[in-house]
Amino acid sequence: MGQDDRMTDEAIAWAVKTGDPAFADWDAFTAWLEGDPGRARAYDRAMAAVADAAEAGHAAPAVNDDARPGEPPAPQDAAAAAASAGAGAAGGGRRWRWLALAATVVLVAMVGFLQLRGSGYVVETAPGETMVVPLADGSEIALGGGTRIALDRDRPRFAALEQGRALFTVRHDESDPFTVTVGEHTLVDAGTVFDVARAGGATSVAVSEGVVLVNPARKLARLEPGDTLSVADGGHDYRRGTAPIARIGEWSTGHLTFDDASLAEVARELSGSTGIAFTAAPAVAGRRASGSVALAPLAQDPASLGPLFGVVVRREGDGWTIDSR
Amino acid sequence: MTSTPAPDGLQAAFLAHRERLLRFLRARGAGEAAEDLLHEVWLKVSAARPGPVAAPLAYLYRTANLVMIDRYRSENQARKRERAWSEAAGATVPGVSDAPSGERVVIARQYARMVAAALDALGERPAAIFRRHRIDGVPQKVVAREFGVSLSTVESDLRRAYRAVLEIRERLDED
Repeated sequence: MGQDDRMTDEAIAWAVKTGDPAFADWDAFTAWLEGDPGRARAYDRAMAAVADAAEAGHAAPAVNDDARPGEPPAPQDAAAAAASAGAGAAGGGRRWRWLALAATVVLVAMVGFLQLRGSGYVVETAPGETMVVPLADGSEIALGGGTRIALDRDRPRFAALEQGRALFTVRHDESDPFTVTVGEHTLVDAGTVFDVARAGGATSVAVSEGVVLVNPARKLARLEPGDTLSVADGGHDYRRGTAPIARIGEWSTGHLTFDDASLAEVARELSGSTGIAFTAAPAVAGRRASGSVALAPLAQDPASLGPLFGVVVRREGDGWTIDSR
Repeated sequence: MTSTPAPDGLQAAFLAHRERLLRFLRARGAGEAAEDLLHEVWLKVSAARPGPVAAPLAYLYRTANLVMIDRYRSENQARKRERAWSEAAGATVPGVSDAPSGERVVIARQYARMVAAALDALGERPAAIFRRHRIDGVPQKVVAREFGVSLSTVESDLRRAYRAVLEIRERLDED
Protein backbone atom coordinates (compact mmCIF):
# COMPACT_ATOMS: atom_id res chain seq x y z
CA MET A 1 0.00 0.00 0.00
CA GLY A 2 2.72 2.44 1.04
CA GLN A 3 4.67 1.53 -2.05
CA ASP A 4 1.59 2.15 -4.22
CA ASP A 5 1.19 5.57 -2.64
CA ARG A 6 4.78 6.42 -3.35
CA MET A 7 4.39 5.33 -6.94
CA THR A 8 1.30 7.53 -7.28
CA ASP A 9 3.15 10.49 -5.76
CA GLU A 10 6.00 10.03 -8.20
CA ALA A 11 3.62 9.59 -11.12
CA ILE A 12 1.90 12.85 -10.20
CA ALA A 13 5.23 14.66 -9.98
CA TRP A 14 6.17 13.37 -13.43
CA ALA A 15 2.74 14.31 -14.77
CA VAL A 16 3.35 17.89 -13.66
CA LYS A 17 6.88 17.96 -15.12
CA THR A 18 6.10 16.31 -18.45
CA GLY A 19 2.90 18.31 -18.91
CA ASP A 20 4.86 21.50 -19.44
CA PRO A 21 6.08 22.34 -22.95
CA ALA A 22 9.49 23.26 -21.51
CA PHE A 23 10.12 19.75 -20.14
CA ALA A 24 13.33 18.32 -21.64
CA ASP A 25 14.62 15.51 -19.41
CA TRP A 26 12.96 12.61 -21.21
CA ASP A 27 15.88 10.31 -20.42
CA ALA A 28 15.27 10.67 -16.69
CA PHE A 29 11.56 10.06 -17.24
CA THR A 30 12.32 6.93 -19.30
CA ALA A 31 14.64 5.67 -16.56
CA TRP A 32 11.91 6.17 -13.95
CA LEU A 33 9.39 4.26 -16.10
CA GLU A 34 11.81 1.41 -16.65
CA GLY A 35 12.35 1.03 -12.91
CA ASP A 36 8.97 -0.68 -12.41
CA PRO A 37 6.46 -1.94 -14.99
CA GLY A 38 3.57 -0.53 -12.92
CA ARG A 39 4.80 3.04 -13.21
CA ALA A 40 3.59 3.60 -16.77
CA ARG A 41 0.02 2.74 -15.69
CA ALA A 42 0.21 4.97 -12.61
CA TYR A 43 1.39 7.83 -14.83
CA ASP A 44 -1.33 7.13 -17.43
CA ARG A 45 -4.01 7.20 -14.74
CA ALA A 46 -2.77 10.57 -13.47
CA MET A 47 -2.50 12.09 -16.95
CA ALA A 48 -5.92 10.80 -17.99
CA ALA A 49 -7.54 12.12 -14.80
CA VAL A 50 -5.97 15.53 -15.37
CA ALA A 51 -7.04 15.57 -19.03
CA ASP A 52 -10.61 14.61 -18.04
CA ALA A 53 -10.71 17.36 -15.42
CA ALA A 54 -9.36 19.95 -17.86
CA GLU A 55 -11.96 18.96 -20.45
CA ALA A 56 -14.71 19.22 -17.86
CA GLY A 57 -13.39 22.68 -16.99
CA HIS A 58 -13.47 23.63 -20.67
CA ALA A 59 -17.06 22.53 -21.06
CA ALA A 60 -18.22 24.27 -17.89
CA PRO A 61 -15.74 26.97 -16.95
CA ALA A 62 -18.15 28.86 -14.72
CA VAL A 63 -18.97 26.00 -12.37
CA ASN A 64 -18.75 27.57 -8.98
CA ASP A 65 -21.86 26.56 -7.14
CA ASP A 66 -22.05 24.91 -3.79
CA ALA A 67 -22.71 21.37 -4.97
CA ARG A 68 -20.85 18.85 -2.91
CA PRO A 69 -19.03 15.95 -4.50
CA GLY A 70 -21.15 12.85 -4.53
CA GLU A 71 -24.39 14.77 -4.20
CA PRO A 72 -27.06 13.42 -6.56
CA PRO A 73 -27.93 15.87 -9.31
CA ALA A 74 -31.17 17.78 -9.01
CA PRO A 75 -33.79 16.88 -11.63
CA GLN A 76 -33.55 20.23 -13.42
CA ASP A 77 -29.84 19.70 -13.98
CA ALA A 78 -30.33 17.71 -17.18
CA ALA A 79 -32.28 20.54 -18.74
CA ALA A 80 -29.79 23.12 -17.48
CA ALA A 81 -26.88 21.07 -18.78
CA ALA A 82 -28.54 20.66 -22.17
CA ALA A 83 -29.22 24.40 -22.30
CA SER A 84 -25.67 25.26 -21.35
CA ALA A 85 -24.32 22.78 -23.89
CA GLY A 86 -26.39 24.58 -26.52
CA ALA A 87 -25.13 27.94 -25.34
CA GLY A 88 -21.58 26.61 -25.44
CA ALA A 89 -21.96 25.59 -29.06
CA ALA A 90 -23.38 28.98 -29.99
CA GLY A 91 -20.54 30.63 -28.06
CA GLY A 92 -18.06 28.58 -30.04
CA GLY A 93 -19.63 29.78 -33.25
CA ARG A 94 -19.37 33.36 -32.14
CA ARG A 95 -15.77 32.86 -31.16
CA TRP A 96 -14.93 32.01 -34.71
CA ARG A 97 -17.15 34.56 -36.31
CA TRP A 98 -15.37 37.46 -34.69
CA LEU A 99 -12.18 36.30 -36.29
CA ALA A 100 -13.75 36.46 -39.70
CA LEU A 101 -15.48 39.78 -39.30
CA ALA A 102 -13.76 43.00 -40.16
CA ALA A 103 -15.27 45.26 -37.58
CA THR A 104 -16.03 48.94 -37.61
CA VAL A 105 -13.70 51.69 -36.55
CA VAL A 106 -13.47 52.29 -32.86
CA LEU A 107 -12.38 55.74 -31.84
CA VAL A 108 -11.00 56.00 -28.39
CA ALA A 109 -8.96 58.52 -26.50
CA MET A 110 -5.79 56.68 -25.67
CA VAL A 111 -3.49 57.08 -22.75
CA GLY A 112 -0.26 55.75 -24.13
CA PHE A 113 1.71 55.10 -21.00
CA LEU A 114 2.76 51.81 -19.61
CA GLN A 115 2.33 51.36 -15.93
CA LEU A 116 3.29 48.02 -14.48
CA ARG A 117 1.23 47.52 -11.38
CA GLY A 118 1.22 44.63 -8.98
CA SER A 119 -0.67 42.51 -11.46
CA GLY A 120 1.75 43.22 -14.32
CA TYR A 121 4.18 40.62 -15.59
CA VAL A 122 6.63 40.20 -18.40
CA VAL A 123 6.93 37.29 -20.80
CA GLU A 124 10.17 36.78 -22.67
CA THR A 125 11.31 34.31 -25.31
CA ALA A 126 14.89 33.33 -26.04
CA PRO A 127 16.18 33.76 -29.59
CA GLY A 128 14.77 30.90 -31.66
CA GLU A 129 12.04 30.14 -29.12
CA THR A 130 8.38 30.73 -29.95
CA MET A 131 5.55 30.71 -27.47
CA VAL A 132 1.80 31.21 -27.59
CA VAL A 133 0.31 33.15 -24.69
CA PRO A 134 -3.46 32.72 -24.35
CA LEU A 135 -5.12 35.65 -22.58
CA ALA A 136 -8.03 35.37 -20.18
CA ASP A 137 -10.50 36.86 -22.70
CA GLY A 138 -9.80 34.24 -25.38
CA SER A 139 -7.35 36.40 -27.30
CA GLU A 140 -3.97 34.94 -28.13
CA ILE A 141 -0.49 36.32 -28.67
CA ALA A 142 2.14 34.31 -30.54
CA LEU A 143 5.63 35.48 -29.60
CA GLY A 144 8.57 35.14 -31.97
CA GLY A 145 12.16 34.57 -30.84
CA GLY A 146 13.94 37.20 -28.75
CA THR A 147 10.70 38.91 -27.77
CA ARG A 148 9.73 40.72 -24.60
CA ILE A 149 6.15 41.70 -23.86
CA ALA A 150 4.52 43.17 -20.76
CA LEU A 151 1.04 42.00 -19.79
CA ASP A 152 -1.31 42.67 -16.93
CA ARG A 153 -3.65 40.18 -15.28
CA ASP A 154 -6.03 42.96 -14.29
CA ARG A 155 -6.06 44.41 -17.80
CA PRO A 156 -6.47 41.49 -20.17
CA ARG A 157 -7.08 43.86 -23.10
CA PHE A 158 -3.65 45.44 -22.95
CA ALA A 159 -0.13 44.46 -24.02
CA ALA A 160 3.14 46.36 -24.37
CA LEU A 161 5.58 44.95 -26.90
CA GLU A 162 9.00 46.04 -25.74
CA GLN A 163 11.11 44.15 -28.19
CA GLY A 164 10.81 41.51 -30.88
CA ARG A 165 7.80 40.30 -32.76
CA ALA A 166 4.29 39.19 -31.90
CA LEU A 167 1.21 38.04 -33.79
CA PHE A 168 -2.00 39.13 -32.07
CA THR A 169 -5.26 37.25 -32.57
CA VAL A 170 -7.67 39.39 -30.69
CA ARG A 171 -11.26 38.86 -29.65
CA HIS A 172 -13.28 41.85 -30.70
CA ASP A 173 -15.18 43.86 -28.14
CA GLU A 174 -16.38 47.23 -29.35
CA SER A 175 -16.85 48.55 -25.83
CA ASP A 176 -13.38 47.44 -24.72
CA PRO A 177 -10.88 47.59 -27.59
CA PHE A 178 -7.60 45.72 -27.33
CA THR A 179 -4.63 48.06 -27.02
CA VAL A 180 -0.99 47.41 -27.77
CA THR A 181 1.75 49.90 -27.01
CA VAL A 182 5.00 49.61 -28.97
CA GLY A 183 7.70 52.08 -28.02
CA GLU A 184 5.97 55.43 -28.12
CA HIS A 185 3.18 54.21 -30.40
CA THR A 186 -0.26 52.92 -29.63
CA LEU A 187 -2.25 50.39 -31.64
CA VAL A 188 -5.94 49.83 -31.12
CA ASP A 189 -7.65 46.84 -32.65
CA ALA A 190 -11.12 46.46 -33.96
CA GLY A 191 -11.47 42.68 -34.18
CA THR A 192 -8.24 41.63 -35.58
CA VAL A 193 -5.25 39.49 -36.42
CA PHE A 194 -2.14 41.62 -36.69
CA ASP A 195 1.61 41.31 -36.56
CA VAL A 196 3.82 43.77 -34.70
CA ALA A 197 7.60 43.90 -34.73
CA ARG A 198 9.95 46.14 -32.83
CA ALA A 199 13.69 46.22 -33.32
CA GLY A 200 16.34 48.91 -33.19
CA GLY A 201 13.90 51.69 -32.37
CA ALA A 202 11.68 50.93 -35.36
CA THR A 203 8.14 49.62 -35.18
CA SER A 204 6.29 47.88 -37.96
CA VAL A 205 2.71 46.68 -38.09
CA ALA A 206 0.93 44.48 -40.61
CA VAL A 207 -2.77 43.61 -40.50
CA SER A 208 -4.09 40.29 -41.69
CA GLU A 209 -7.74 40.54 -40.56
CA GLY A 210 -9.94 43.35 -39.27
CA VAL A 211 -8.81 46.89 -38.63
CA VAL A 212 -6.03 48.40 -36.54
CA LEU A 213 -5.82 52.04 -35.57
CA VAL A 214 -2.34 53.46 -35.09
CA ASN A 215 -1.91 56.29 -32.57
CA PRO A 216 -5.60 57.31 -32.54
CA ALA A 217 -4.92 60.17 -30.13
CA ARG A 218 -2.03 61.70 -32.04
CA LYS A 219 -1.71 61.00 -35.69
CA LEU A 220 -4.31 58.48 -36.67
CA ALA A 221 -3.62 55.90 -39.32
CA ARG A 222 -6.14 53.19 -40.14
CA LEU A 223 -4.83 49.85 -41.35
CA GLU A 224 -6.95 47.30 -43.14
CA PRO A 225 -6.09 43.75 -44.17
CA GLY A 226 -2.90 43.72 -46.23
CA ASP A 227 -1.79 47.18 -45.03
CA THR A 228 1.61 47.64 -43.44
CA LEU A 229 3.08 50.60 -41.62
CA SER A 230 6.49 51.29 -40.21
CA VAL A 231 7.66 54.19 -38.11
CA ALA A 232 10.87 55.07 -36.30
CA ASP A 233 11.03 56.25 -32.70
CA GLY A 234 10.99 60.04 -32.64
CA GLY A 235 9.81 60.16 -36.24
CA HIS A 236 6.42 61.36 -37.34
CA ASP A 237 6.42 59.95 -40.82
CA TYR A 238 4.61 56.70 -41.37
CA ARG A 239 5.98 54.56 -44.13
CA ARG A 240 2.95 52.73 -45.49
CA GLY A 241 2.86 49.76 -47.79
CA THR A 242 1.04 46.55 -48.53
CA ALA A 243 1.89 42.89 -48.08
CA PRO A 244 0.22 39.69 -49.31
CA ILE A 245 -2.13 38.71 -46.49
CA ALA A 246 -0.93 35.10 -46.50
CA ARG A 247 2.53 36.31 -45.54
CA ILE A 248 1.51 38.36 -42.53
CA GLY A 249 2.45 36.54 -39.36
CA GLU A 250 3.74 33.62 -41.40
CA TRP A 251 6.81 33.45 -39.13
CA SER A 252 4.54 31.78 -36.59
CA THR A 253 4.17 28.87 -39.03
CA GLY A 254 7.89 28.58 -39.61
CA HIS A 255 8.53 30.76 -42.63
CA LEU A 256 9.85 34.25 -43.19
CA THR A 257 9.40 36.14 -46.43
CA PHE A 258 11.56 39.10 -47.36
CA ASP A 259 10.45 41.63 -49.89
CA ASP A 260 13.18 44.01 -50.94
CA ALA A 261 14.76 43.91 -47.48
CA SER A 262 18.41 44.75 -46.84
CA LEU A 263 20.61 41.77 -45.99
CA ALA A 264 21.29 43.46 -42.64
CA GLU A 265 17.56 43.26 -41.89
CA VAL A 266 17.44 39.70 -43.20
CA ALA A 267 20.29 38.73 -40.85
CA ARG A 268 18.60 40.36 -37.88
CA GLU A 269 15.21 38.78 -38.52
CA LEU A 270 16.71 35.34 -39.06
CA SER A 271 18.75 35.61 -35.86
CA GLY A 272 15.64 36.40 -33.84
CA SER A 273 13.60 33.61 -35.44
CA THR A 274 16.17 30.81 -35.39
CA GLY A 275 18.32 31.68 -32.39
CA ILE A 276 21.38 31.39 -34.63
CA ALA A 277 23.51 34.52 -34.87
CA PHE A 278 23.57 35.74 -38.48
CA THR A 279 25.43 38.89 -39.46
CA ALA A 280 25.73 40.57 -42.83
CA ALA A 281 29.27 41.56 -43.82
CA PRO A 282 29.62 45.30 -44.51
CA ALA A 283 30.14 44.62 -48.22
CA VAL A 284 26.63 43.17 -48.58
CA ALA A 285 24.73 44.65 -45.61
CA GLY A 286 22.92 47.18 -47.78
CA ARG A 287 22.14 44.80 -50.63
CA ARG A 288 18.41 44.24 -51.16
CA ALA A 289 16.99 40.77 -51.29
CA SER A 290 13.63 39.06 -51.75
CA GLY A 291 12.65 35.48 -51.01
CA SER A 292 10.92 33.09 -48.64
CA VAL A 293 12.90 31.09 -46.09
CA ALA A 294 11.71 27.96 -44.26
CA LEU A 295 13.19 28.33 -40.80
CA ALA A 296 13.61 24.76 -39.56
CA PRO A 297 15.81 23.57 -42.47
CA LEU A 298 17.78 26.79 -42.15
CA ALA A 299 18.40 26.15 -38.47
CA GLN A 300 19.75 22.70 -39.41
CA ASP A 301 21.95 24.05 -42.19
CA PRO A 302 22.55 27.83 -42.03
CA ALA A 303 24.69 27.75 -45.18
CA SER A 304 21.62 26.78 -47.22
CA LEU A 305 20.65 30.46 -47.17
CA GLY A 306 23.45 31.21 -49.66
CA PRO A 307 21.91 30.02 -52.95
CA LEU A 308 18.58 31.70 -52.17
CA PHE A 309 20.06 35.19 -51.89
CA GLY A 310 23.11 34.73 -54.12
CA VAL A 311 25.57 35.04 -51.25
CA VAL A 312 27.86 32.78 -49.25
CA VAL A 313 27.17 32.02 -45.62
CA ARG A 314 30.17 30.92 -43.61
CA ARG A 315 30.74 30.00 -40.03
CA GLU A 316 32.63 32.52 -37.90
CA GLY A 317 33.02 31.69 -34.22
CA ASP A 318 29.57 31.02 -32.80
CA GLY A 319 27.77 32.75 -35.62
CA TRP A 320 27.33 32.81 -39.38
CA THR A 321 28.36 35.63 -41.69
CA ILE A 322 26.52 36.48 -44.88
CA ASP A 323 29.02 37.70 -47.46
CA SER A 324 29.46 38.21 -51.19
CA ARG A 325 30.37 35.21 -53.28
CA MET B 1 6.39 29.00 -49.12
CA THR B 2 7.19 25.32 -49.20
CA SER B 3 4.73 22.64 -48.21
CA THR B 4 6.99 19.94 -46.81
CA PRO B 5 4.99 17.61 -44.57
CA ALA B 6 7.23 18.39 -41.61
CA PRO B 7 10.37 20.43 -41.06
CA ASP B 8 13.53 18.57 -42.04
CA GLY B 9 15.04 19.18 -38.61
CA LEU B 10 12.32 17.04 -37.07
CA GLN B 11 12.75 14.33 -39.66
CA ALA B 12 16.48 14.23 -39.06
CA ALA B 13 15.91 13.99 -35.30
CA PHE B 14 13.30 11.29 -35.81
CA LEU B 15 15.64 9.16 -37.91
CA ALA B 16 18.64 9.74 -35.66
CA HIS B 17 16.79 8.93 -32.43
CA ARG B 18 14.46 6.17 -33.60
CA GLU B 19 15.83 3.66 -31.08
CA ARG B 20 15.56 6.04 -28.14
CA LEU B 21 11.96 6.84 -29.03
CA LEU B 22 11.15 3.12 -29.32
CA ARG B 23 12.72 2.50 -25.95
CA PHE B 24 10.63 5.29 -24.50
CA LEU B 25 7.42 3.90 -26.04
CA ARG B 26 8.20 0.45 -24.60
CA ALA B 27 8.87 1.96 -21.17
CA ARG B 28 5.51 3.72 -21.50
CA GLY B 29 3.85 0.33 -21.94
CA ALA B 30 3.63 0.05 -25.73
CA GLY B 31 4.90 -3.54 -25.76
CA GLU B 32 4.57 -5.26 -29.14
CA ALA B 33 2.85 -2.20 -30.61
CA ALA B 34 5.90 0.07 -30.16
CA GLU B 35 6.82 0.10 -33.87
CA ASP B 36 3.25 0.86 -34.93
CA LEU B 37 2.95 3.58 -32.34
CA LEU B 38 6.22 5.13 -33.46
CA HIS B 39 4.76 5.30 -36.95
CA GLU B 40 1.70 6.99 -35.49
CA VAL B 41 3.99 9.51 -33.80
CA TRP B 42 5.53 10.37 -37.14
CA LEU B 43 2.13 10.72 -38.82
CA LYS B 44 1.04 13.06 -36.05
CA VAL B 45 4.17 15.18 -36.37
CA SER B 46 3.77 15.35 -40.16
CA ALA B 47 0.13 16.34 -39.88
CA ALA B 48 0.79 19.02 -37.25
CA ARG B 49 3.42 20.74 -39.43
CA PRO B 50 4.81 22.68 -36.50
CA GLY B 51 6.80 25.85 -37.00
CA PRO B 52 10.51 25.90 -36.23
CA VAL B 53 11.07 23.56 -33.31
CA ALA B 54 13.88 24.65 -31.03
CA ALA B 55 14.37 21.19 -29.54
CA PRO B 56 13.23 18.59 -32.10
CA LEU B 57 13.96 15.53 -29.94
CA ALA B 58 11.97 16.86 -26.98
CA TYR B 59 9.12 17.65 -29.37
CA LEU B 60 9.15 14.06 -30.63
CA TYR B 61 9.18 12.64 -27.10
CA ARG B 62 6.30 14.89 -26.20
CA THR B 63 4.29 13.74 -29.21
CA ALA B 64 5.07 10.10 -28.39
CA ASN B 65 3.91 10.66 -24.83
CA LEU B 66 0.65 12.20 -26.06
CA VAL B 67 0.07 9.25 -28.39
CA MET B 68 0.39 6.91 -25.38
CA ILE B 69 -1.95 9.01 -23.23
CA ASP B 70 -4.56 9.11 -26.02
CA ARG B 71 -4.24 5.38 -26.40
CA TYR B 72 -4.77 4.77 -22.70
CA ARG B 73 -7.76 7.09 -22.62
CA SER B 74 -9.49 5.59 -25.63
CA GLU B 75 -8.95 2.03 -24.35
CA ASN B 76 -10.38 3.13 -21.04
CA GLN B 77 -13.41 4.68 -22.72
CA ALA B 78 -13.98 1.53 -24.74
CA ARG B 79 -13.83 -0.60 -21.58
CA LYS B 80 -16.33 1.64 -19.82
CA ARG B 81 -18.71 1.67 -22.78
CA GLU B 82 -18.59 -2.09 -22.98
CA ARG B 83 -19.38 -2.44 -19.32
CA ALA B 84 -22.19 0.12 -19.48
CA TRP B 85 -23.62 -1.66 -22.51
CA SER B 86 -23.59 -5.10 -20.94
CA GLU B 87 -25.19 -3.72 -17.80
CA ALA B 88 -27.84 -1.97 -19.88
CA ALA B 89 -28.45 -5.06 -22.04
CA GLY B 90 -28.86 -7.17 -18.95
CA ALA B 91 -31.32 -4.57 -17.65
CA THR B 92 -29.74 -4.95 -14.24
CA VAL B 93 -29.47 -1.21 -13.73
CA PRO B 94 -32.85 0.46 -13.98
CA GLY B 95 -32.85 3.69 -15.92
CA VAL B 96 -29.52 3.26 -17.67
CA SER B 97 -30.92 2.13 -20.99
CA ASP B 98 -33.70 4.68 -20.79
CA ALA B 99 -32.04 7.91 -21.79
CA PRO B 100 -28.35 7.25 -22.23
CA SER B 101 -27.49 10.64 -23.71
CA GLY B 102 -29.36 12.56 -21.03
CA GLU B 103 -27.71 10.41 -18.42
CA ARG B 104 -24.30 11.18 -19.85
CA VAL B 105 -24.99 14.90 -19.81
CA VAL B 106 -25.95 14.73 -16.14
CA ILE B 107 -22.90 12.64 -15.30
CA ALA B 108 -20.63 15.04 -17.17
CA ARG B 109 -22.12 17.99 -15.38
CA GLN B 110 -21.89 16.33 -12.01
CA TYR B 111 -18.30 15.40 -12.72
CA ALA B 112 -17.45 19.00 -13.70
CA ARG B 113 -18.93 20.14 -10.38
CA MET B 114 -16.92 17.62 -8.42
CA VAL B 115 -13.73 18.76 -10.13
CA ALA B 116 -14.50 22.42 -9.51
CA ALA B 117 -15.36 21.78 -5.86
CA ALA B 118 -12.23 19.70 -5.28
CA LEU B 119 -10.01 22.33 -6.89
CA ASP B 120 -11.64 25.18 -5.00
CA ALA B 121 -11.16 23.24 -1.76
CA LEU B 122 -7.39 23.46 -2.32
CA GLY B 123 -7.55 27.23 -2.12
CA GLU B 124 -7.77 30.02 -4.62
CA ARG B 125 -4.24 29.94 -6.00
CA PRO B 126 -3.82 26.20 -6.68
CA ALA B 127 -7.26 26.14 -8.34
CA ALA B 128 -6.48 29.19 -10.48
CA ILE B 129 -3.01 27.86 -11.38
CA PHE B 130 -4.47 24.51 -12.44
CA ARG B 131 -7.01 26.25 -14.67
CA ARG B 132 -4.45 28.64 -16.20
CA HIS B 133 -2.02 25.83 -16.99
CA ARG B 134 -4.33 22.95 -17.95
CA ILE B 135 -7.41 24.71 -19.34
CA ASP B 136 -5.93 27.88 -20.85
CA GLY B 137 -2.71 26.06 -21.82
CA VAL B 138 -0.31 28.62 -20.37
CA PRO B 139 3.26 27.30 -19.82
CA GLN B 140 4.29 26.86 -16.18
CA LYS B 141 7.03 29.49 -16.46
CA VAL B 142 4.49 32.07 -17.61
CA VAL B 143 1.98 31.02 -14.94
CA ALA B 144 4.69 31.59 -12.33
CA ARG B 145 5.24 35.13 -13.62
CA GLU B 146 1.53 35.84 -13.72
CA PHE B 147 0.97 34.79 -10.14
CA GLY B 148 4.26 36.24 -8.90
CA VAL B 149 5.41 32.91 -7.43
CA SER B 150 8.36 30.61 -8.11
CA LEU B 151 8.24 27.79 -10.62
CA SER B 152 8.52 25.26 -7.79
CA THR B 153 5.44 26.77 -6.13
CA VAL B 154 3.55 26.37 -9.40
CA GLU B 155 4.70 22.75 -9.57
CA SER B 156 3.66 22.01 -6.01
CA ASP B 157 0.24 23.63 -6.52
CA LEU B 158 -0.20 21.54 -9.65
CA ARG B 159 0.80 18.36 -7.83
CA ARG B 160 -1.90 19.02 -5.24
CA ALA B 161 -4.48 19.71 -7.94
CA TYR B 162 -3.48 16.59 -9.90
CA ARG B 163 -3.82 14.48 -6.81
CA ALA B 164 -7.28 15.91 -6.15
CA VAL B 165 -8.58 15.19 -9.66
CA LEU B 166 -6.94 11.75 -9.66
CA GLU B 167 -8.76 10.91 -6.41
CA ILE B 168 -12.07 11.90 -7.99
CA ARG B 169 -11.38 9.71 -11.00
CA GLU B 170 -10.45 6.70 -8.87
CA ARG B 171 -13.48 7.14 -6.64
CA LEU B 172 -15.79 7.24 -9.67
CA ASP B 173 -14.12 4.23 -11.27
CA GLU B 174 -14.65 2.18 -8.12
CA ASP B 175 -18.41 2.65 -8.33
